[in-house]
Amino acid sequence: MSVRHAPAAVRPSLVCSVALVGIFFSAPWPSLQAVFHVALVLGLAPLETVPLVAGLWAVAAGWIVEGTLRMVPHPGGAAWVDLTLALTVLFFNRFWPPDRRLIWWGRLVGFTLLHTLLSFFAVALASGPHPLGRGWLWALLTSPLWAMLAWRLKPTAHPR
Amino acid sequence: MATRARWRSAGWQAWLLALLWLGHGLWVMSGRWPGLGLVKALNFISGPVLKISAKWEARRVARSQTTNNLSIAEKEIAQLKARIGLFELQEAREGPRRSEAEEAIRLLGLKQQLPLETKAARVIANTRTAPFGGLVIDQGSELGLQPDQGVIAPEGVVGRIWSAGPRQASVLPLDAYNASTGVMLARSRATGVLQGTGPGKAEIRYISSQEGVQVGEAVYTSGLDRIFPRGLLIGFVSQVRPRDAELKVEVSLSAPLDRLYLVLVLPSKPPIEVSSPAAPPAGSGKGLP
Repeated sequence: MSVRHAPAAVRPSLVCSVALVGIFFSAPWPSLQAVFHVALVLGLAPLETVPLVAGLWAVAAGWIVEGTLRMVPHPGGAAWVDLTLALTVLFFNRFWPPDRRLIWWGRLVGFTLLHTLLSFFAVALASGPHPLGRGWLWALLTSPLWAMLAWRLKPTAHPR
Repeated sequence: MATRARWRSAGWQAWLLALLWLGHGLWVMSGRWPGLGLVKALNFISGPVLKISAKWEARRVARSQTTNNLSIAEKEIAQLKARIGLFELQEAREGPRRSEAEEAIRLLGLKQQLPLETKAARVIANTRTAPFGGLVIDQGSELGLQPDQGVIAPEGVVGRIWSAGPRQASVLPLDAYNASTGVMLARSRATGVLQGTGPGKAEIRYISSQEGVQVGEAVYTSGLDRIFPRGLLIGFVSQVRPRDAELKVEVSLSAPLDRLYLVLVLPSKPPIEVSSPAAPPAGSGKGLP
């Protein structure tokens, strides 16, 4: 059963699980892992209709990223930021739903930058200084792809 | 009702989300400021669980080790059983050959003790239980065997050759009803004639009732029949009873007539006395008279 043929309520969960597996297995390539990570936290998890489920996807993504990196002595910062931003995006989607793709994409780009800054801040708060890396840049560059994927999977999506 | 349930579910979810967010936040803060005591609190909360799980883990490891040891022991037992089976099979194969070799060694010792020209033969059939039965050996007239040659084994006298074919000869054992052998008793020196009375048994005739014969006394060949030289062990007195003017002396034959493999055939008409008479096998006799 492909994602397109799955029931609408189940599609986000299926895609989120695929993205989570992608995060885990792309650990040897941090740039690719950052793309999966940001796509799941900002694009896919907020598609869930139940906020708790969306939060759990985001938390899982954060812990897996920090767990597979094995670089931070006190992990948890990424998960905290992921939870915060996933819920924020969910809140925005619910109360100010974008009616055009461009707005949707622009909003996600903004959240990507915010996610980068907050992640850096939270991880530094928990574990001390650490290299930022270029994963955020790859996430930004690939944002048209995953943002449009999220747009298509959005329950109220209506392609123009 | 449904609305209330949905509201209640949403409320719980909101609380859980808040708890999740706060928990993560406190956890991140504890990384920066360990003095918050969050780690201590978590340790305090998780302490009992950790203790129980450590005990459980130790128990599980011990059980696993025991199971592992048991499986190793079972494998070793199976290997040992296989080896024992192999040895038993080997023993069963080698057993008859070894007993025959041992008997051959004893026969060789007997042959070296006897200063007579003896010939070794193998018992190939034993028909003693049949009427007029006896033993059949694998040597015959081609080797120079002829009737009335004595046949002995390391344990004692077996009998005499009854008839000889070219390559086989039949032996009349001592316990045959028609077998007669000149014997003498070790202690009383009384002489008589041994006649067979049945499997493994014989009786001495013509011993005066005046003779003092004791049970357990050794019986030797007397040499008077010119078949056996004097002093070969025949058996032991098992019972003594007076019968008219003579004694009825029953003798248990020392040669195992029902399980003989190799025998020695004495020369025809040997001398009555031999210079170095044969000694009985160790533990089976009291020595020569």
